[in-house]
Amino acid sequence: MKTGIFLRHLTINFFLAIIVLPLLWVLLLSIKSMPDAYSGTLWPDKFDFSHYWYVVTKIETLPRNMLNSIVVTLSTVVITTVCAILAGYALVYARMPGRIAVISVLTASLFFPTKLISLIAIYEIQRWLGLINSTLGLIPPYVTLNLAISVLIMRAIFEQIPVELIEASRLDGCGPWGTLIRVLLPLTVNGIVVVAIVNFVTAWGEFLLAATLTNDQAVRTMPVILASVFGGMGQWAWPRVAAVYILLVLPGITFFALLQRLYFKGLTEGALKL
Amino acid sequence: MMFFFIGYQVYPILRVLWMSFTNYRFLRLTPAEWVGFDNYRNALVDPIVYTGLLRAAEFTVLFLPGTILLPMLLAVLIERVEHERLASLYRIILLIPAVIPGTLIFTLWKWMYDFHIGPINYILIQLGWFTERTAPQWLGGTALTLPAVAAFEVWWGLGYHTMFFLAGLASIPKDLTDAARIDGANEWKLFWYVTMPRLLPVLSILVVLRFGSAMSVIEEYLIFGGYNRASPTYTWTVYMYDLAFKIGDWLQGYAAAIGWIGASAMMCVVGGMLYLFRSRD
Repeated sequence: MKTGIFLRHLTINFFLAIIVLPLLWVLLLSIKSMPDAYSGTLWPDKFDFSHYWYVVTKIETLPRNMLNSIVVTLSTVVITTVCAILAGYALVYARMPGRIAVISVLTASLFFPTKLISLIAIYEIQRWLGLINSTLGLIPPYVTLNLAISVLIMRAIFEQIPVELIEASRLDGCGPWGTLIRVLLPLTVNGIVVVAIVNFVTAWGEFLLAATLTNDQAVRTMPVILASVFGGMGQWAWPRVAAVYILLVLPGITFFALLQRLYFKGLTEGALKL
Repeated sequence: MMFFFIGYQVYPILRVLWMSFTNYRFLRLTPAEWVGFDNYRNALVDPIVYTGLLRAAEFTVLFLPGTILLPMLLAVLIERVEHERLASLYRIILLIPAVIPGTLIFTLWKWMYDFHIGPINYILIQLGWFTERTAPQWLGGTALTLPAVAAFEVWWGLGYHTMFFLAGLASIPKDLTDAARIDGANEWKLFWYVTMPRLLPVLSILVVLRFGSAMSVIEEYLIFGGYNRASPTYTWTVYMYDLAFKIGDWLQGYAAAIGWIGASAMMCVVGGMLYLFRSRD
């Protein structure tokens, strides 16, 4: 039995190491001195922490691209989360006709390669609205990327809440809005965290739409920039690209680390029970 | 509320469906003409469409088993970790890749596999299995490219899918496994007859969803392979994108038809899978 437990932990740790090692490698690359970075040795002879300072001050468009990414991502997360809360609420408690139809269309869209097929028409719409090559124009298509799954998650979460609670709050004189804000939102924080994180991850790293709908370096978001540069010499030398990478990965991991308790509760409460 | 969903998902899909029956182009003043099934007829005899679909299918076959079975194994192992802190630490580390956006994953692995600077080749050379001349060329359209992409996609989904299976495992009553143990079932039998049937719903959902995402992969291919038609990463999705946005002709109507052919082929398989999984309940 002892060896069994040992083997089990060994296997788990083996997989965990595979997950963590590539990220550690990039972290290490971002603090290597130039000669070490290009010789390929895993552990550098000499560390150099100046790359971070370099990328934020010396690459002209980078702060701009960072700002673009932050604005687009935050707007997307807020809009989608609010939409998902309202839609999920309506789908569970409002006895409106066509509820089943809406739910089936949303579910069906999960199985359909929506983003891919709609791309051509989205380009057309954006051109018609004059939103090509505009950073803020990316927000409406981004909102839809995860809207269906977000609404379904919120619906699953709302369904866990006993009806008696809603009725009680009605008796106490709360309208539908009061019930939602005072009674339901505090109870569904976990689910909201899951929805927000899912949307954050998608919007923060979206590539296809951003690459298709924008052209100018100054308008683009970080993922497009990162995917188009490949470590060479000069401005985009290897350790510098790696430093940009670490700056991009950190917010996601930080949010997750801070909110992980709520996130796991949200996952088990309903997000995985679709 | 539904404005976004209708405006940017339902309408575009129908609009693309309409385009696929016309000779539509963005940059033309005359209105598009209705050409009936011409686009579809041309696409169905276009060899690039077939190779594209086959390549996507090949990738799916490489990717699906690993992305389903490894997380299942890992979930069964982690579920038995009794030390609570350790168990939650394992979960947190597992989910790290799930909070890294796709593009960042792709660039990370583009570096990992890199011929000159990538640590994978460095380690292979240090181990003495290859020299600097014979080290494998992972990316750039060799036969190794699709397996390499499949491998890191498995890496990416490992933690997230493990969570699905852990949620499935959590719903199995403890009495059931205890009772089976008392009846003398060994661990293997326990897994096969007690755990496995209860994981089937999770398993089938994951298979269907991952099949869909694997067949319609495009960003990875654009980042890794570009528009080289000889590369195994030039699948139907890339062909569609290439026709619609890159090649000078801008044949959006034709591209729309290819998109719909690919999507219809996928939907047939998805429908078949849903039917199969449903009938077993």
